Amino acid sequence: MPPKAVAEVTIDIDPATYETQNVHAIYDTIASHFSSTRYKPWPIIAKFLSRIPDGWIGLDSGTGNGKYLSLDRDGKTWMVGLDRSINLLKFAQNAGDKAREVVLGNVLDHCWRTHAFDFAISIATIHHLATPSRRVLAVQRLLQAVSPKNGRVLIYVWAIEQDELSKRIIPQGERNETRTGQDVVVPWVLSKSNIAQNPKSPRDSREEVYNRYYHIFAKGELSALVSQAAAGLGLTIGSVVGQPSSTQGVEILQDGWERSNYYVELRRWSI
Amino acid sequence: MVRLVTHNLLACHAKDCNTNNFPLVFQNVQLEIREAEFNPGFIQSFLPKIEWNALVKTAQELGDTSLPIDQPEMIDDELLKNLHHVLFEIHIVEGAMICPNCKHNYPISDGIPNMLLAEHEIA
Ligand SMILES: [Zn+2]
Repeated sequence: MPPKAVAEVTIDIDPATYETQNVHAIYDTIASHFSSTRYKPWPIIAKFLSRIPDGWIGLDSGTGNGKYLSLDRDGKTWMVGLDRSINLLKFAQNAGDKAREVVLGNVLDHCWRTHAFDFAISIATIHHLATPSRRVLAVQRLLQAVSPKNGRVLIYVWAIEQDELSKRIIPQGERNETRTGQDVVVPWVLSKSNIAQNPKSPRDSREEVYNRYYHIFAKGELSALVSQAAAGLGLTIGSVVGQPSSTQGVEILQDGWERSNYYVELRRWSI
Repeated sequence: MVRLVTHNLLACHAKDCNTNNFPLVFQNVQLEIREAEFNPGFIQSFLPKIEWNALVKTAQELGDTSLPIDQPEMIDDELLKNLHHVLFEIHIVEGAMICPNCKHNYPISDGIPNMLLAEHEIA
């Protein structure tokens, strides 16, 4: 695959409409090709899922083709996959050649019994939301989905610090991206053979380019987002140790970088 | 696939619909029974998280009366097998889920429930 040039963008329309056009519609179009390239789990996520206790149920918010739904420790844990792309869900439905539970929905909605889950993961999803307030809301939805007692959350987003092996070229913008991150589009090139599998796409052109929107996260931006989300829900940020009584909070267990991505692992607690 | 294990987690999230918005009521459903691997250990640890009344009511509405009305304290093999069937082997392929409160209709197509709302319906 050739290097992918990334172009900076400014969002000047309603963010929900922008996401519909520049994220959801594109995933529905490229679903088949995209899914064929997404099969290898990231190590941090595989490790997180391998340590989930027996009998825990989880939400994979932004499940895509459902590749993480299969990491269920042979049925000792169990996950529901939520995604906005119906065509990706058709792959997720049979991830790992097993019947999986999937739901068509938006990660900004709360279509669950509150605190119904033991854990939630959000992998390469929140970076597709077009404003800071929408990204905060997405984190709040994850915190609301899990148990207030011991619920775990893992969030994984695209980082401004790129891996040496990364194939993407990030433009040097005018603004101070090191603090606020950067809004960009990343081209997805759909070749004719892939288009042919989708009867709705034009057949006459040799290839089609689809520019997916991403917010590239700056260093520290993800944990700041978590703090803001927690504060908005009245949750204390930090460890349970030394807290006054009758408090609910969120502890950041891990805050790191892996292969061009930032991640945080969170634990909810209450006393 | 929508199975009762997922249905037991879903709730209506339409604007201003905050009470009596669970469980959603199946309507005009097309079912498929598919055998699944029996995993009693998982069911046992999952049991405390189930909304029992909602599960029994919904199973009955779909024609399965194998579960007792009151959640038993003793968990025997028969109960685990019945729970396994109700939670993991009944697939709802087509139909809809209706909110008991605001009557919002969440369609199910090809085994995938659509929980999206129009912009003006979102809280
Ligand atoms: Zn409702």
